Amino acid sequence: MPQQYAIALKGICKSFGSVAANKNVDLNVRPGEILALLGENGSGKTTLMNMLSGIYKPDSGQIFVEGKEVSIDSPEDAKRLGIGMVHQHFKLVDVFSAADNIWMGKEKTGLTLKKDRYDQIEEMAKKFGFDLDPRKKVYNMSVSEKQTLEIVKVLYYGAKIIILDEPTAVLTVQEIRKLFGVLRRMKEEGHSIIIITHKLNEVMEISDRVAILRKGEYITTVNTSETNEQALTEWMVGHKVDLNIDRPPMAKTRPLLEVRDVTIRSDEGAVAIDSVNFYIRGGEILGVAGIAGCGQKELCEAIAGLRPIEKGQMIHKGDNIVGLSPKAILEKGISMSFIPEDRLGMGLAPSLSITDNMLLKNYADGKGPFVDRKRGRADAEQVIRELEVVTPSTQTPVRRLSGGNVQKVLLGREIKAGPNVIITAYPVRGLDINSSYAIYNILNKQKQAGVGILFVGEDLDVMIALCDKIMVLCHGKVMGVVHAHKTTKEELGLMMTGALDLTYKYEDKPAGFAKDTRFETRDEAEED
Amino acid sequence: MGLRIVKRDDCPLWKKCCFYLAAVVIALGLGAALLASLGVDPAAYYSRMFTMGTIGNKIAYKVYINYLKEWVPLALTSVALSLAFKMRFWNIGGEGQFIMGAIAAAWVAFQAGPVLPVAVSLILMCLAAMVVAGLYGLIAGVLKVKFGTNETLMTLMLNYAALYVLTFLGETKADWNFFLDEKSVRPVFASFSKIVSFPSIPMGEKFTLNICVILTLVIGAAVYVYLKYTKQGYEIAVVGDSAGTARYAGMKVPKIVLRTVFLSASLVGLAAAFKVGTAGILSTSITDDVGWTGIIVAWLSQLNTAAIFLVSALICVLQYGSTVAAATFSQVDSSFANMLQGAILFLVLAADFYTRFRVVLVKKGGKDNGNG
Repeated sequence: MPQQYAIALKGICKSFGSVAANKNVDLNVRPGEILALLGENGSGKTTLMNMLSGIYKPDSGQIFVEGKEVSIDSPEDAKRLGIGMVHQHFKLVDVFSAADNIWMGKEKTGLTLKKDRYDQIEEMAKKFGFDLDPRKKVYNMSVSEKQTLEIVKVLYYGAKIIILDEPTAVLTVQEIRKLFGVLRRMKEEGHSIIIITHKLNEVMEISDRVAILRKGEYITTVNTSETNEQALTEWMVGHKVDLNIDRPPMAKTRPLLEVRDVTIRSDEGAVAIDSVNFYIRGGEILGVAGIAGCGQKELCEAIAGLRPIEKGQMIHKGDNIVGLSPKAILEKGISMSFIPEDRLGMGLAPSLSITDNMLLKNYADGKGPFVDRKRGRADAEQVIRELEVVTPSTQTPVRRLSGGNVQKVLLGREIKAGPNVIITAYPVRGLDINSSYAIYNILNKQKQAGVGILFVGEDLDVMIALCDKIMVLCHGKVMGVVHAHKTTKEELGLMMTGALDLTYKYEDKPAGFAKDTRFETRDEAEED
Repeated sequence: MGLRIVKRDDCPLWKKCCFYLAAVVIALGLGAALLASLGVDPAAYYSRMFTMGTIGNKIAYKVYINYLKEWVPLALTSVALSLAFKMRFWNIGGEGQFIMGAIAAAWVAFQAGPVLPVAVSLILMCLAAMVVAGLYGLIAGVLKVKFGTNETLMTLMLNYAALYVLTFLGETKADWNFFLDEKSVRPVFASFSKIVSFPSIPMGEKFTLNICVILTLVIGAAVYVYLKYTKQGYEIAVVGDSAGTARYAGMKVPKIVLRTVFLSASLVGLAAAFKVGTAGILSTSITDDVGWTGIIVAWLSQLNTAAIFLVSALICVLQYGSTVAAATFSQVDSSFANMLQGAILFLVLAADFYTRFRVVLVKKGGKDNGNG
């Protein structure tokens, strides 16, 4: 035997219906290494990993663990074989404490909960160098704490091979750094780690080798030190890709949308957005950075008229829009598209066809009691053609489309309506490189047409490249508005965690006040 | 070797029909086994049941007339419920709304029948039943919109409230209670069939087609068009699919919910008016369980109006046929139809599973599963 792999896959095939998710995939992981698994959406990464963790069974092919052929029939089998997976969507019970979340998967614990479970787990967490309070309830935890708990959970059950499915998607720069520290330490202790991610810079930073999948097929495995981001992208996509995001310069126009001293409450009644000021000009992309759940959703909903504003003012082209109905705000040309975590929750009706979804905002136009489906179909055909949406027909229910195409349909409809302000939150959430770039191009075209864009994003690299200015939110407060070409990821990261407040960087005015504001009271005061 | 479940991409219509047909055949097979164990020849029983005793019957036309009398309320109630279900408003209060509609229709029949022309009385009966049933359905709608209560529970409980109102009217002998027969000492509902009744159109020699059948077909077609092609129908589909999206699109969700619930319940009320207007009398079993059976019909038809007509027609054959057959085969109770209906429902649901998934045989991969 040439080399003992921690895990080796040979000729793995798996199909769902007539769709082949994995075709003849070979993959191997050495003991004590970090392998990055790279591929576009739908390239079969998660399917492959789910077969390792016993959720799916391969149609054919062999799995070897430490040189011995095994069959993984259930998550129990995977656990026994020392394979642990941290899923993209955490599998935790919210009302349980950290310790109980770990404890409940344990066999032979007897009928009673023992007090010493807290100490045992705390001790173990300390051994691995984790900072974890075993008594803390999951609903009180931040995203990164939950992730730590998931990792401790797999380690507790003696996992030697740890799979992480897009672990960095929800973390800040600082948290990612901390996670990578943990991964390196686990590697030193002889654990094998497979990490799935879309972000090439992270692949370059953390991994020893990179395995690439494309459309379900295994392409190659390369040593990270012998490759670069450009080469990886080409393997992944199958052709040359320009990795630069354009930021076309535009002439300044007067502010289109101004938000002054606005406070908004969340569903639970807590203050989600706290006295926020900002403005968007035509032909400008204003980025909004912040840790997930910092009031981004509430802000978008409030602008679209879906959520009441507690106090403050919003003016659009000089007209007040606070208190207007969602319909009236739409008619002013403010379009909002929010891609929630499940991607379908807001803005689209998943079981309805593309045609019907195109009609969502204008079905009531025109006389008579009937819906004008002819126009909807024409719109659908146009969006499909112009944005290259992959779909069998205009009658296909939206939920049957892949993520990128769903998002194109949503953005396509918003743009078709000819808005002058676009509020877009997470438009590339979960999208692969190709689809993401298609979306950036769409946004840039709109910007060049003079539309003002509020871009709520996750990926700081992208925001720095695409946006003109970036506003940073931390717990609903603005930490400052910075020029994208002058800032750094580190600076943004510090602002996101609240460690750096640049609101009063320029002494003449706090961030978010336009010099040429359309608020009449300010007009005279600030005019030079 | 092992069995595995695999998702189907697409199932052609003919295949679906085969699955459903197979389900019905298996259910009938089960029924046949049961009949045989009772000492009844299944073939003889089924032929009697499915022909509803019309073969060799000199008054077969009466069978058809009575059969249609049962079919109208069931078909119309199913259509009405499908409206609410399309919006994912789980109106299981068809029974209660039917009862309230029936009471309202009978009220008008007793009060207006003797003084107004029959046509006017009939129209008033329909309108009264629709408004009363609609408002009764609206209770659950308003509570849901205002306080977010669960409509399933609310409509369910309102069924019992309505039933007790009807029982109260049927058992309370008093001067004000014009619903009861004055001549009888014991409390019994009075008949008004001599005063008002829905007219029938003579067709052929003896068969007459009741106007309610035609109206039901027309309303069914109208509901189909309403759901599929109108703006309001579109709103119902969007609200049902995702209320958040509807709100985001600027739709007034509470208004749409209330409007649709009212429409759904008022059509149930209309079904009740048709029933009362042909039966000519109230009774505590006036609903014939159409509020329940209608739910089954609507689901089996997957909320498709054309399918609702077909499924309700078949279920009526089962129900009506089994009462006819029970007269011949004394050892089989007429509730045999309920059992058969249940078996068909379960097996059709199972068939539904097979239209979406396939079961395949697979060879086990690997030699051992790592457990030693």
